[in-house]
Amino acid sequence: MPKRVLIVDDHQNFRELARRLVEAVGLDVVGEASSGAQALLEERRLRPDIVLLDIQLPDFDGLTVASSLSLLPAAPAVVLVSTRDASDYGPRVRQCGALGFISKAELSAASLAAMLSE
Amino acid sequence: MTTIRRRVLQAIVLLVLALASLVELEHFWLPTIDRPPIRVLDDLIPGYAFALAGLIAWSQRHWNRVGTLMVGIGLGLLLGTGPVPTSSPLGEQQNFLGDAWTFFQLVFGLLWAVALFHLLLVFPEGRFVSRLDRQMVLSLYVVVPVSGLALGVLALVPNQSIDAYLGPASDRFAAVGITLVATFVYYLGCWVLGLGLVIHRWMRASPARRRSMSPVIWSLIPIVLAWLGPLETAGPMVIWGVWPRLVLVTPLLLVALPVGFVVALLRSEHEMSSVGDLVVKLSDGMLPEQLQPALAKTLHDPSLEVLYWLPTLARYADLNGETQSLPAPNSSRAATVLGDPGGPVAALLYDSSLRNEARLVDTAAAAVRLALENARLQVQLRAQLDEVQQSRMRLVEAADSERRRVERDLHDGAQQQLVTLLLSLQLAKAEAIRSSDSKTARLLEGSIESLRQALDELRSLARGIHPTILVEAGLMPAIRSLADRCPIPIEVTGELDRIEPKMETALYFVAAEAITNAVKHSKGQRICVNLCRSSGWASVDISDDGIGGADLSQGTGLVGLADRIAAVGGRLNVLSSHLNGTTLHAEVPCG
Repeated sequence: MPKRVLIVDDHQNFRELARRLVEAVGLDVVGEASSGAQALLEERRLRPDIVLLDIQLPDFDGLTVASSLSLLPAAPAVVLVSTRDASDYGPRVRQCGALGFISKAELSAASLAAMLSE
Repeated sequence: MTTIRRRVLQAIVLLVLALASLVELEHFWLPTIDRPPIRVLDDLIPGYAFALAGLIAWSQRHWNRVGTLMVGIGLGLLLGTGPVPTSSPLGEQQNFLGDAWTFFQLVFGLLWAVALFHLLLVFPEGRFVSRLDRQMVLSLYVVVPVSGLALGVLALVPNQSIDAYLGPASDRFAAVGITLVATFVYYLGCWVLGLGLVIHRWMRASPARRRSMSPVIWSLIPIVLAWLGPLETAGPMVIWGVWPRLVLVTPLLLVALPVGFVVALLRSEHEMSSVGDLVVKLSDGMLPEQLQPALAKTLHDPSLEVLYWLPTLARYADLNGETQSLPAPNSSRAATVLGDPGGPVAALLYDSSLRNEARLVDTAAAAVRLALENARLQVQLRAQLDEVQQSRMRLVEAADSERRRVERDLHDGAQQQLVTLLLSLQLAKAEAIRSSDSKTARLLEGSIESLRQALDELRSLARGIHPTILVEAGLMPAIRSLADRCPIPIEVTGELDRIEPKMETALYFVAAEAITNAVKHSKGQRICVNLCRSSGWASVDISDDGIGGADLSQGTGLVGLADRIAAVGGRLNVLSSHLNGTTLHAEVPCG
């Protein structure tokens, strides 16, 4: 059974492309969210295995969402994405409990598959 | 009141004084059984003392009602308590005149005491400070003459003319007694309450006001003794034998009040000489900071403040350049504005009781006029510097805010669209590979690579405009991130917690610029960045082992950095010598 993915980003174009990329590596996209609050609600409702999470969100940032998700009993694996570099966010990227970070410019079926296989 | 009218009135007063003296002195030649000739002095001396003190006050402070009241008291004493001829060598004519004079005295004879009460309540400003004061005084001005009139009618008018209306003599005398007692009780009550109010106000007054009231307050003690004089029941004092002797001089003790007032006036004149001391101090050289204390000392008002008019900013400011305003009319503070035809120069703010010392205030103000003008220029300079400093800080903050906005716009706009395009190309490339179209796949791969480079450059540009990490994580991680991307090794040492964002931004751009300069110009092999916080200052030191030669006075880059640091209240030092590397030290306040 393919792993279930929730995509969180405030840009619809990116969410559509990310869905196709994720599906290209054989994963099942079960939902989308456009804000941090919606991401937490959808996670509770859909219980995905993986959350593809943008850092720059309109309400609270993806790092805060990742920290909240990492405290759940059956925490999903969080893959952070951003147009910026991980170095632009300092040590919080490592400390927020996420599985890893992929720059949006580097996001591809291969990079996603490599991170998930780690 | 014009000067001529005042002079005419003063002449009339002097004439009345002379006539009153004649009336008094007449009694000296026509002694009565119960009033020896020498007691004429009891009326003459206090009367003259009040009248003369009043005339002095009138000429010195003609705008103040105090002088008028004192003249009135003096005349009242001379006329109202004058002799009552009881035997006459001139027969019935003289008796009629004697009765008329007694009647006049009954009606108006005590008005001097009401005027004295009035004077005490309005001293030193010459106007009532409360409605209660006004009501008490006005009521006494009515009650005392009216009761005197009633007494006169009942006691002096021939019996047969009023018996028909007022009943027999025994009833009239009972009515006289009741009128006397009622008037006396009301009169006494007003005096006790009024004196209580005056002493209470004196005790709670500001230093300047208390100083101006004090001579009169102290002179109240003999006044009260004088007033108590007729009450020869002061037990212990009688036993000690003091009282009978005191009673002999009690009327003369009334002199104390005009003396007290003259003392207050003379003190004011004496204080004029302290203006001379002020002028001497000014000639020795006085800093603007010393001006206010010197004026406060000269005018005996510790609360005195000097405000300076800033024409360019159209407002008053204190010595520190902070905005101040003049007191409202009728407040406990008063102001004298000093100016020239060009407008105000400065304003003196002082206790309102100094309004009575207008001549002293004006003289002192005139003495310090030039010094005030100089001080005003200094205050104006300070205020303008303060404005410039604040304006510079606002400019820097606005520039930083604009940088953050541009970085955010780049991130949300161009970068986001390019990323979306990149992902689309990647999907297209995957589709081309799946359909075995290797030529298209190669073309797409080339485009993807170019787009990645463009995105990298754009990200680098955005980071240079305003680094996200500075906002996200603070100065220390931001400099470590800077070090990570630097082509030559950077050692970051020290420790610095989060400080105010504008301070972090100022230090960050100094470090970024210094690192860029070191990479471009120093030809060094190593850069060290040290951050620390000590004694309310956060500092960053950037040093390289290059060829040196950096100079703060040359080149706009370092000057711009120095300006940016100065705008947030910090300092920048550059230490650079030939072949010995360069060290930049920047520090900013951090509470």
